Amino acid sequence: MSDPSRDEERDLVERAKRDPRQFGTLYDRHLQQIYRFVYSRVREQTAAEDVTSEVFMKALKAMPRYQDTGRPFAAWLYQIAVNAIADRYRTLRTAQPLDDFHDLSVAGPALEDLAAHRDEVRRIWTLVESLPHQQRTALVLKFQEDMKIEDIAVAMGKSAGAVKLLIHRGVTKLRDEAASLRPVE
Amino acid sequence: MNSYHDPELEDVLQDGELQRIASMLSSAHTPEPPLDDAFRTGLRRQLMKEAWAMSEGRNSWWRRALAPPGLAWAGAAAGVVLIASVVVWTSLSQPGGLQQVVVQSPVDGDRSVALAQPILVAFNQPMDRKTTQDAVQIAPATNVTFSWDSGSRTLAVQPTGGTLAPNTQYQVTIGPGAKTASGKPLSTAQTITFVTQPKATPPATPTPRPTPTPSLGERPLATLAGASSLSAQWSSDSSSIYFVDGQGALKVVPAKGGVATIIAPDGAASPSISPTGDRLAYIRAGKIEVLTFASGMTDELVVTPAPTLVGWTKEKVIWAAADGVYTKGGDGRSQQLAPLPSAGAVTVVSIAPDGAHAVYRQDQNLFVLDLGTGKSVQLGQANAAFQGWSPGGSELLYATTDNVLIANTQGATQATLPAGDASWSSQDAILIGGDTDIFQGRPDASNLGRLASGTFHSPLWAPNGTSFAFVRGGALWTATAPTLPPEPTPLDDATTVVNNFMQARLNSQSDQANAFLDDNGKAAYAGGGLSLVVKGDPHFSRFYILTSEITGSQPDTARFVVRLVLTRGKIDVSDYEETLSLVREATSKQFLIDQASSGSHRALGKGAEVVNVDVESDTVKVTFDSDLDPTTITDAVMILDSKGKQLDATASYANRTVTLSGLNLKDGAQYRLVVLTKLRDVLGQNVAAEYDLDVVGPSSKKHINHKDVATPSPSPSTGG
Repeated sequence: MSDPSRDEERDLVERAKRDPRQFGTLYDRHLQQIYRFVYSRVREQTAAEDVTSEVFMKALKAMPRYQDTGRPFAAWLYQIAVNAIADRYRTLRTAQPLDDFHDLSVAGPALEDLAAHRDEVRRIWTLVESLPHQQRTALVLKFQEDMKIEDIAVAMGKSAGAVKLLIHRGVTKLRDEAASLRPVE
Repeated sequence: MNSYHDPELEDVLQDGELQRIASMLSSAHTPEPPLDDAFRTGLRRQLMKEAWAMSEGRNSWWRRALAPPGLAWAGAAAGVVLIASVVVWTSLSQPGGLQQVVVQSPVDGDRSVALAQPILVAFNQPMDRKTTQDAVQIAPATNVTFSWDSGSRTLAVQPTGGTLAPNTQYQVTIGPGAKTASGKPLSTAQTITFVTQPKATPPATPTPRPTPTPSLGERPLATLAGASSLSAQWSSDSSSIYFVDGQGALKVVPAKGGVATIIAPDGAASPSISPTGDRLAYIRAGKIEVLTFASGMTDELVVTPAPTLVGWTKEKVIWAAADGVYTKGGDGRSQQLAPLPSAGAVTVVSIAPDGAHAVYRQDQNLFVLDLGTGKSVQLGQANAAFQGWSPGGSELLYATTDNVLIANTQGATQATLPAGDASWSSQDAILIGGDTDIFQGRPDASNLGRLASGTFHSPLWAPNGTSFAFVRGGALWTATAPTLPPEPTPLDDATTVVNNFMQARLNSQSDQANAFLDDNGKAAYAGGGLSLVVKGDPHFSRFYILTSEITGSQPDTARFVVRLVLTRGKIDVSDYEETLSLVREATSKQFLIDQASSGSHRALGKGAEVVNVDVESDTVKVTFDSDLDPTTITDAVMILDSKGKQLDATASYANRTVTLSGLNLKDGAQYRLVVLTKLRDVLGQNVAAEYDLDVVGPSSKKHINHKDVATPSPSPSTGG
């Protein structure tokens, strides 16, 4: 059975391929998530706006050549975003502390456990920032953007296996470096 | 909290600890970052403009029609008419199908329409050209030409002068007299409203970035024979480079390439060119050698304790030793300028080009030493690395793990740049090189862009600010960097402040607006005559700068007249002007608004309106929103001096602009631009009321930016 939302998206994409003036609907749908992803990487509003502008402008211009591979349209936008961020990552150093961005609040545990957990989560995400670029991107797309492996593969221009390997290596490195984060028994 | 399960990752995250880490990563959900509505709508508008351009194609019919030869053709068919920018969908799937004539425009509602673009109007069915053109009305009055596509469904309208008026709200109405090709009239008149951009608008690219140049003309000059760091100096004429190789040989090589000449075969260190460029000092065998280029003679300076680094203060050699920084006293003996700390491992790493400061390392820490007072301040944290001086030596560059920092000689950080090896040019450009590429930018981190890919270690600017040396693959190379865009002028700086101030008011952000006022400015807006936040109906909808001038220097002062437009519904109904005087504040070097006054309200839509005034000492250009009747210009637009006497001037008219030339406006003197009611637009409408605008004779020094020069505090006294 086909997914109605995917069918609707395919229809929107096909229309935008035929007539670029229809691209506005795709922009409205995806601006927030792409901006959120970009912002999470560059941590600065003006830079995030610049990169997001670049992503959608490139997407619009490339629409006639877009090929539906069965993956969500957003995966393609993420791919453009990943490349755009990589292009300027050298000049855009993260400036804000991590907890300015990640909401570390979680529901459920007792307050003291919650505080300890928050602290651990903050430090583990801080360690993510020190990972090699590709591992970091894979982890962000998986755990922050909650994307499927196949979609991350599209976004990063890699195979699903390669993405899994990046995640495995990234998480393993976090485990090794965060050994001191393990709660005292 | 360890119960992480994701079928997609179960084959790679089998270890319980890995799952715990994954669980923590996924438990921090992401809040929505700030997404500015203005950005959202602005980007959408840009995308839609681009989409329209893509749809039309580069060789669309209207581009061909409105190209100069076509324009002449179209102009022959055009009279004094009205402009239209309407777009009508041709799609038959539009609501109503062909039963209803649908009119739309990509610029409808747009508040930043480019001045030179043709206005496209499309209909959902073929139109009768004559009745449609006749039914078009435009305010303000504008001469236009019309062009149609072959199907008579899209109309392109172009002002005969080539551009629309700046800062103007246009209302374009297609009246019910317009008929389709089959004779069906529009059911009702349809109006399109849009606002044009200011006259000089930066390009609308979303991400302006320097375009990487394909090549910087890199070429190898000489091997460094294993040197671990670059110890080099350019000659003062930028024609050659003196360097010490890994064998301790001091050599000179022409920057354009050629054989390296040996000056000292071994044991050399710390080459330093004198400020006038006529001598080269260096250290060899524990002595200071001073080579005079003209004679080729080398003088030897034997000093105790042994020198470790040599530099210059004016034309005198200064040097660092283990316990202090020295120069030669009047008696010919070493004279200590400033002592170095005795604790720890202390090494002087550089002497400033003006000889006023030195940078030394003490164990893992970096310090800047004032050679006049002997006082030191630390630069950054442990393991900071010195990178270079500003051209005059008043600021310096040092590196941390993550960044290059610019600090003053008191150690205060002035700006932060990306990490790398940095050099500061005589033209105030900074190069930052590394393993994979090289960047160039301004010391305030503006204009930062990648110049080229490749290895560019230890870049070193030549005195000409164009060439630079660097290290690649164990060799000394040279290359040429493109010139950076010029630094903003004082008028640019002041304009930025005025725009930010007005934008904050437009957004009703009084706190932010207040930040652009000094105490006098705050008093002006608190006094009751002026409102920082403009309230009421009609509402404050937009602003633009009518005229701007630099009126003085030291401190820089500027005068702006800003027009505030009041709107009811979608229509601009009135406006008024505020005159703002700005002064560059002595400490922060930022312009602040020091004086403000307000003019009276004027109703719009009652004849031609002044929308831009450019004042030069010999010329005043007055741009109107309407095409004018040229026969009414003489003595309707004039300049009066402070006594009310009309100045002699020659008036000419072209494309909505009246140019008064042959003037001789004095620096800082008061003048008044007057537009009399005898001035008429092309539809015969007179200016509703006399318009007066006070202007000041422009400063002849307005292009000098005093931002980096110590300026006295503005004094309330006018002297006398």
